[in-house]
Amino acid sequence: MFRPAIYSLSIGAENTQSMGNRMKKITVIIHTRDSQATLPRLLESVRWADECIVVDMESTDRTCEIALQYDVTLLSTSVVARVDGIRNNFIERAQHEWIFILDSDEYLSADAAQEVKNLLQEYGNSRDIFSIPRYNMIAGQIMRGSGWYPDHQIRLFRKGCVRWSDSTHKLPELLTTPERIQRLEPPGCLHIHHDNYDSITQFIDKQLKYALNDRYPGEGFSFERYVAMAYEEFSLRLDKKNDGELSIALATVMAWDRVIRGLIHWEQLGRKDSLSHAYSLPVTTISRYPDCIFPSDVEELRRRIQAFESVPGLKMLEKLVNSLRKKISRIMGLIKKTGKPFKLA
Amino acid sequence: MNTLCAIIVSRGLDEMLRFCLKSFFESADQLYDSVEVIIVDNASSRPYTKSSLSDSRIRVLRFDVQTRFAAACNRGVKECRTEKLIFLNNDVFLDQSSLCKMLQNSCRAGVGVVGSWLYFPDGRVQHRGVVFGNNDIGPYHLSRGQFLEPRSPFEEYQAVTGACLMVNRSLFNQLGGFNESYQFGLEDIDFCLRVRQHGYRVVCADAGRPMHFESFTPGRVELDVPSRHLFLEHWRGKYTIDG
Repeated sequence: MFRPAIYSLSIGAENTQSMGNRMKKITVIIHTRDSQATLPRLLESVRWADECIVVDMESTDRTCEIALQYDVTLLSTSVVARVDGIRNNFIERAQHEWIFILDSDEYLSADAAQEVKNLLQEYGNSRDIFSIPRYNMIAGQIMRGSGWYPDHQIRLFRKGCVRWSDSTHKLPELLTTPERIQRLEPPGCLHIHHDNYDSITQFIDKQLKYALNDRYPGEGFSFERYVAMAYEEFSLRLDKKNDGELSIALATVMAWDRVIRGLIHWEQLGRKDSLSHAYSLPVTTISRYPDCIFPSDVEELRRRIQAFESVPGLKMLEKLVNSLRKKISRIMGLIKKTGKPFKLA
Repeated sequence: MNTLCAIIVSRGLDEMLRFCLKSFFESADQLYDSVEVIIVDNASSRPYTKSSLSDSRIRVLRFDVQTRFAAACNRGVKECRTEKLIFLNNDVFLDQSSLCKMLQNSCRAGVGVVGSWLYFPDGRVQHRGVVFGNNDIGPYHLSRGQFLEPRSPFEEYQAVTGACLMVNRSLFNQLGGFNESYQFGLEDIDFCLRVRQHGYRVVCADAGRPMHFESFTPGRVELDVPSRHLFLEHWRGKYTIDG
């Protein structure tokens, strides 16, 4: 599946040090494919690592040439649709006990060397896995809103304690106990810096590729679940306070992503199930920052009033409507126009 | 070949930093040679990006964990390639003539460090040089808060503020940079005193009307107290009491 291309020289310093005060050593593993634009910054930021393995997937640009300018072990592998599926193979090849996985469009800060050293000194014996927050930069903006930050990632771990499955952007399997996982809480801690996408168009393009190349289960399909997940994503990602207009755009793309994944899954299973159930759900917008009431909301309100007319506790309802009338006289006008006999106090 | 590199340690205050850079580049336009800027992003909650600081002369050095001002400056200097360095705070807006005048003064014989008169936004003096008082008074800004005009192109002091401080890189490295024992504040005064111990002069120049808002970064003032203790411990009795 893969063939080693060039091996770096490794100095076996371990034998010269006693086990007790041995420095904890790190292997950084980077998967690349046509990564010439982002790779130099990443490799600059991990120069301090004891070993750096670059696994290239048949790049046609200067990726390999750039990698060889640094002190790295360059390995080649054939192109795969999902990089997570082959991560485990290369973790096995690391010489050191601790592994730091980075993607080619990520990098670390200037103080990362010191921070990683501090982490391993403090927790190296009592923890197996570090969950590290990540800054995501999308369309020129670093996202601070919900759903995008702190975006904890399992990247720094003891060899053998994490196993990836063959999928895209799924959490890996953690082969340790929860108390041996250290979650770094911002502010003031090590971060991964991720330049995700230059533009919304590129973001849409990538999401579509991920969706088309992902693996979908052979049973248990429910389009309702995908639609519900779309609403969930929209609600989670919408955070205008922190990210402004871009938050709306990206929340919309993420919701769309869930729906198209549902459709891809549906087609892969031979279009057996009905899609229409999904839209018979009593779904409404779940924006936490409603800007205005749409005409359809008035209809909804009217229907609710009708339904409640026959229910005990009408006085409570009248109170509710009265309070609404004070605030939204226009809505009340529309309700009156419907001509329903509804006595107002 | 670039001649001058600005090192700006900054945390948050993106817009302030943008104006600081704008004024710096406007001032740099008056120079014959080109300049570069190292911004040390000292753990801003939203990291500075290349796109928000859209100038190819700027390089950003990101720190995820907040670091002492002295250490951040020293790290920034390691990235510099020029002989002249200028340390700037993100709330210092230079005047067009500032860099030119400061560079002229830095070329005078025996001068190691050049500071600048700085003004508050209302025109009062923020800094015209640092003088030293008796006992526990220690160093303080002369004429701070007064309406005053410079009477000479430069004056000599024992120290100037690090908010706007020009020095040769070789001298900076020879002295081992700023003393990283200081949490925040007075590392600049410590540095100037060491410059003088090495036989160089510290001057404060009349360099147009650069503005300094002073102590804008949140949480900065609390760190002054331990720095002051440390400073007096190191330097008590080793500086001249200014009349």
